[in-house]
Amino acid sequence: MAEERKSVLRLENITKKFQGLTAVDDVSFDMKERSIYALIGPNGAGKTTTVNMITGVFPPTTGKIYYRDRCINGMKTFEIARLGIGRTFQNLKLFNSMSVLENLMIGGHEMTKIGLVNFCFNFGGSKKEEILLRERAEEVMEYLGIQDLAKRNVKNLSYGRQKIVELGRAMMTGPKLLLLDEPAAGLIPSERKEFVDIVLRMFEEGMDIFLIEHNMDVVMNVSTYITVLNFGSRIAEGTPKEIQSDPEVIKAYLGDKYQEIAAKERRD
Amino acid sequence: MKEKKNVKIALLAALFVGLIVFPIVDKNTYHQLALAQTLVNVIIVLGLNFITGLTGQMNLGTAGIMALGAYSGQLMVQKLGMATILTIPVAILMGVIIGYALGYPSLRLKGVYLSLTTIGFSEIVRLVITNWADFTGGTTGVQNIPALNLFGLKLDATWKLTVFLVIICAVLVFTAYRIVNSKYGRVFKAIRDNIEAVEACGIDVAGLKIKAFTLAAIFGCIGGCFYGFLMTYLNPTQFTQDLSANYLLMMMFGGIGSVPGSVIGATAVTLLPEFLRFTKEYYWLIFGIITLLFAIFLPYGFISLFQKEKREEAGIFKILNDRKGKRKNAGVPKSGGMR
Ligand SMILES: Nc1ncnc2c1ncn2[C@@H]1O[C@H](COP(=O)(O)OP(=O)(O)OP(=O)(O)O)[C@@H](O)[C@H]1O
Ligand SMILES: [Mg+2]
Repeated sequence: MAEERKSVLRLENITKKFQGLTAVDDVSFDMKERSIYALIGPNGAGKTTTVNMITGVFPPTTGKIYYRDRCINGMKTFEIARLGIGRTFQNLKLFNSMSVLENLMIGGHEMTKIGLVNFCFNFGGSKKEEILLRERAEEVMEYLGIQDLAKRNVKNLSYGRQKIVELGRAMMTGPKLLLLDEPAAGLIPSERKEFVDIVLRMFEEGMDIFLIEHNMDVVMNVSTYITVLNFGSRIAEGTPKEIQSDPEVIKAYLGDKYQEIAAKERRD
Repeated sequence: MKEKKNVKIALLAALFVGLIVFPIVDKNTYHQLALAQTLVNVIIVLGLNFITGLTGQMNLGTAGIMALGAYSGQLMVQKLGMATILTIPVAILMGVIIGYALGYPSLRLKGVYLSLTTIGFSEIVRLVITNWADFTGGTTGVQNIPALNLFGLKLDATWKLTVFLVIICAVLVFTAYRIVNSKYGRVFKAIRDNIEAVEACGIDVAGLKIKAFTLAAIFGCIGGCFYGFLMTYLNPTQFTQDLSANYLLMMMFGGIGSVPGSVIGATAVTLLPEFLRFTKEYYWLIFGIITLLFAIFLPYGFISLFQKEKREEAGIFKILNDRKGKRKNAGVPKSGGMR
């Protein structure tokens, strides 16, 4: 059955070298439609580098990247985003001089059509457009439960709220595929649960999700398929169950604690 | 809320009418010139605000932009006998051309390198108009600029030109205000805040930077065009690097990124020398001290006195606040930024 589903994101023999350092080494995987695909691995394994190549921040040294069977190598970041790939950043990248509402409205900028020259003369049209954009932002804020923060400056929010705002901004672009780089890192448990709920809800509503995450609770609970990187190379892929019991993954990343859990689960 | 807005509009309308009436009533040419020069500077600072204030791309080429805006039209009047009114569309066209010419390098250059490029641009313009004497008049420049003729209405006295400038300036202030407070102003600011995030939103940053440069150049060229009519002559010594720095100063003085700030900054820095005239040879010293005090205590400009958010984090207020804060919650770490 899994074979019938269409490919959303496919990497073929992707390698990225930074001068002497090989950050990503001949990595291939195929993310299918309707999945929450997790990419995990220890620090420095090349996860963020992989996302940066997918989003066109820098090109892979060798290899090809396909989004819905279309090769996106060489496309610019904003062009890739326009295809419907949204992302959040490991280290928050918000517009710190602005309010939550404004951050979200920038996310929706591409929804608007009126050009600069037209804008100077078309008063009614541009006003209508602004209202539409604001309404969309308000919808998203409500969806995320942050409508009370609309007027607040993002830099005065807690880290957890900032992460939600960044997610909201990504949603404003209307993505079909969302790349989340460590969304739960630095969150307190209650916030983490909130985040997981939101991600699951978005998935159920039709978005495909590509997730980088260190927190194993999150990964094992939400993802449908996992690829494990270590020192830039793929060392395993499979369902959460398969990954939990993979000896190489345990050795490289999960550690003994997970071996025990996995063993217990096998006994059950 | 609505009422407050109405009061504001009424005040602005009164100001507009007052500015129109002023040059008609006050027959002192010196006062009229001061107002006209202020209006020209307001227009130019509004432009600079798009590229440097909002988008955060340092532009030290304002003098070059102005020079091209002024010379292009006047040379066509002199050499081709073009109608004076057409200098305005010519200036706008020139602005578009400069916008692209300066915008493209800015896509690859950042910070100090961009500053140097814009200085280079300005100096090249100055050298060309100095040395291409056959065409530009060289160091003598363009003399005896004819009065601006509005379809038969000749603006042949300073007060007439000043009234017209008040109207043009009002239109441009209004346009700038609309742009700054729209989706464009927002994404310009976003580029300054975090360029990678802007791209991740599917926004073409390169295109926007060129738009911001083009806006700056159009406003700068229109300002330059009127500057020519006001002075009635043009020559290369008017467009030195000092001038560019002065416009930057006006913008910072009033408040980066804000239209009222640009207007206040341009007005204050244009008129300050007049008010400080009594200081004679100490003028530059006193002007320098005032500027420094502003940079230290009001880094977001004069306008930040009226903006709650910025007031709390700026200069003198921050110092006061921090003191208070330290006493109140000593030892409590700031939220956020963990990890
Ligand atoms: N722009 C860059 N230039 C040079 N080296 C880089 C660059 N980006 C990443 N690297 C290096 O590539 C390697 C992989 O980094 P990457 O950020 O992809 O790791 P990661 O798996 O995301 O780790 P973490 O869990 O810490 O986020 C690291 O050794 C890093 O130092
Ligand atoms: Mg990373």
